[in-house]
Amino acid sequence: MKTEDLKNNKDYKYGFTTDVENIRSPKGLSEETIKFISNIKNEPKWMLEWRLKAFNRLKVLKEPDWQKPKYPKIDYQNLYYYSAPKSSSEKPKSLDEIDPKILETYKKLGIPLVEQQRLNGIAVDAVFDSVSVATTFKDELTKKGIIFCSISEAIQKHPDLVKKYLGSVIPLSDHYFATLNSAVFTDGSFVYIPPNTKCPMELSTYFRINASETGQFERTLIIADKGSYVSYLEGCTAPMRDENQLHAANVELVALDDAEIKYSTVQNWYPGDENGVGGIYNFVTKRGACRGNNSKISWTQVETGSAITWKYPSCILQGDNSVGEFYSIAITNNHQKADTGTKMIHLGKNTKSKIISKGISAGKADNMYRGLVEIKNKASNSRNYTQCDSLLMGNKCGAHTIPYIKNNNSTSTIEHEATTTKINEEQLYYCNQRGLDQEEAVSLIVNGFCKEVLQQLPMEFAVEAQKLVAISLEGSVG
Amino acid sequence: MKNFYDFKVDNIKGLSAQEKKFRNRELDLFSKKGFPNKREEAWKFTDLNTILSKNFAYITNNYISLKEKKFELIEEFDHNYLFVIDGKLVSNEFKFEDKNKFLIKEYDYKKKISVSNQNSLNFLNNALATGGYFLEVSKNYKFKKPLVVYNHFSKNIKEQIISYKNSLILNENSELTILNYTDTNSRNNFFVNSFDYLKLKKDSNLKNIFINKERCNCYFHHYLKSNLEQNTNLDNYILSSGFKFNKFDIEINLNEEQAKSSIFSALSLSSEEHQEIKSSINHNFKNCQSYQKIKNVLNDQSRGVYQGKIFVKQKAQKTDAYQLSKALLLNDNVEFDAKPELEIYADDVKCSHGSTSGSIDLNSIHYLKSRGIPEKEAYKILISGFLSEILEKLPKDNLKKFLIEKMGRQINGY
Repeated sequence: MKTEDLKNNKDYKYGFTTDVENIRSPKGLSEETIKFISNIKNEPKWMLEWRLKAFNRLKVLKEPDWQKPKYPKIDYQNLYYYSAPKSSSEKPKSLDEIDPKILETYKKLGIPLVEQQRLNGIAVDAVFDSVSVATTFKDELTKKGIIFCSISEAIQKHPDLVKKYLGSVIPLSDHYFATLNSAVFTDGSFVYIPPNTKCPMELSTYFRINASETGQFERTLIIADKGSYVSYLEGCTAPMRDENQLHAANVELVALDDAEIKYSTVQNWYPGDENGVGGIYNFVTKRGACRGNNSKISWTQVETGSAITWKYPSCILQGDNSVGEFYSIAITNNHQKADTGTKMIHLGKNTKSKIISKGISAGKADNMYRGLVEIKNKASNSRNYTQCDSLLMGNKCGAHTIPYIKNNNSTSTIEHEATTTKINEEQLYYCNQRGLDQEEAVSLIVNGFCKEVLQQLPMEFAVEAQKLVAISLEGSVG
Repeated sequence: MKNFYDFKVDNIKGLSAQEKKFRNRELDLFSKKGFPNKREEAWKFTDLNTILSKNFAYITNNYISLKEKKFELIEEFDHNYLFVIDGKLVSNEFKFEDKNKFLIKEYDYKKKISVSNQNSLNFLNNALATGGYFLEVSKNYKFKKPLVVYNHFSKNIKEQIISYKNSLILNENSELTILNYTDTNSRNNFFVNSFDYLKLKKDSNLKNIFINKERCNCYFHHYLKSNLEQNTNLDNYILSSGFKFNKFDIEINLNEEQAKSSIFSALSLSSEEHQEIKSSINHNFKNCQSYQKIKNVLNDQSRGVYQGKIFVKQKAQKTDAYQLSKALLLNDNVEFDAKPELEIYADDVKCSHGSTSGSIDLNSIHYLKSRGIPEKEAYKILISGFLSEILEKLPKDNLKKFLIEKMGRQINGY
């Protein structure tokens, strides 16, 4: 897309591309591509073998077709699986060395990498296209023994940890897109919090899909050792694209005894234009294992972008007394489709899980909650509470709820509630009467509807998320 | 896997060449898919193929009904009756009604009824169904007494499939209460695959109740399709505990304004029973209402499943739809699965669902025990309180008394 076109199109605030020369892998999915990726990353042999194992598995797997959002067939041979900013062949040692154009991109996005970081107390592992470009605040974290680096770096420097945990939550042969990711993942973040350590700041990463025709395959692995705590933020905005782009990331969380992981996402990728042309396919596998006793994993997500969102951040509650939480807001407008929810699998005793899901659909969008709560027969005294509410704006959109509930234990309790309604006209009228125009009123009411989830977000995200909610629904009522 | 069934259209006598052709085609469609298994979304929690292959050596449709004439009439309340053996209408008696106001005959297989979700069991039913009844109630006629359908299965049935279709038409402003009362003298395993079609014309009202006489080794699949016109009311009561396996596939189409439907279910399952209620309520028109309340008590190694779907079309504004499923799990060998589904395309609607499953409240047990009631008795009191709520909407009469008494026996394990 030409730059002039982009300038003319102001609907999408973050629609811009940066001109950075790319190094690309050979086109298409093949053993050569995988070897190329592994080679360029200077990976040890075991990693290449792992990738090839996944690739062999991929050959027999079929793309899933049960989900409601249908998409045109993806030509996997027509994608580039690796593209990195050229300047990364000599990794910058400080912020000054970073390509100024990249820094500019972040500025436009509103992540001031340079100064405001310190004020906000966030260490950013910024992912630009596929290679981690800059990592700040490393020293402060290193002092505490916290490892926060790109996954490629971790493979080099901490092979034991990676070997032990990579693929332990999302196995190689899990499903099509997860396996694809295992074979061709290019980069991502790696976090290890040592025992009895509380991470002093919110760790954060920014994903951007930049080079056209590049499916981005991120791999994130977070390990919270005994008695530790970490809060991780993931934020996404992507430049405007004309053709559909595939994003198949894998995120694995492991919480050991008494550890807690809080994972928050704001996703605002290009959703396609009003007619449903373009937009990102967001097929992400996120899964956390509460492996230790008294561990806790909490997912919070605000999903406003992408043409098709299809993800189910899940918790496997293995340890006794472990806790899983899922808070979600999914907003779809125009032709967007979201099929999202969670899985809570209770294996340990006295495990608890809580699901709060808010779906809002407007325009011609389809919004679906799909979730599984399963209590196995050894998980005595377990408890789940699920609430999923849907809000419909206009009569051309759809809101669907498909919960799967399986209870196999007599001392455990599962409660599930769901409602579907439209915006209360009396509330709208009340707001209008007090001088708020229609859009302000809708934004206010919707923000109220989502309050329970927004409250869970860390401060930095909460403000942005509230704005996003309002922006996403612009023009949907009237 | 070994083939555990063999069905032949030729086993059915007296078919025209055209009918044979149609039935063979349907049988082919079935053969392609076989019995449904959990790969199919609608059978996710109920792998019928596995259940049947485990419990049957060889199922055929080759059976001869015994001419069992004797059967016990229900004495607790006055009623009309149809007597049906192995799906075939044998006799009927309508001594409380005006004979000119209804029509009863055998089901006419020339009329084809299309089904929106074609699963392989529907194909199998099309291929093999024989017998069944057709009942039509005249305009403005309200049945004075309930109609009991004695759905009897003969003693010599063994490893066989019984297939039939029934059809019931209620004309304008008519009213009927029907009790489907299943029993058998057979101690063997057998499979029943039935299809019921209900049509409710303007202002009509139907109560459709299902209950068993006793526990039996029957594997039952029941497809219930109903079309509702303006201002009609359909209440389904499912109290059919006691089958080895039972799946109700209920399709309700609310096609005109003010059509109302409900499904009430109270099941007390024990031993290795497996019961599923799958509903799809299609709100095709504005201002319709649907209500579902499903209660399960699970004991021994039983399994209860509820898959409920509410579908609201774009033009079906002002829909009021509600789903509730509750389950009591009495031990850790039981399982309850629910999938209460909403698919909504209209914005001015009120749709909600709730689902809970858990153990019996131990505080309540303690309360009763502290008042001198033995623990076992206390459980029974709480369970019967939990289940009998389902019957609240029924008028207080002898039929209700009969149902409450039956439910009590079910709770005590027959």
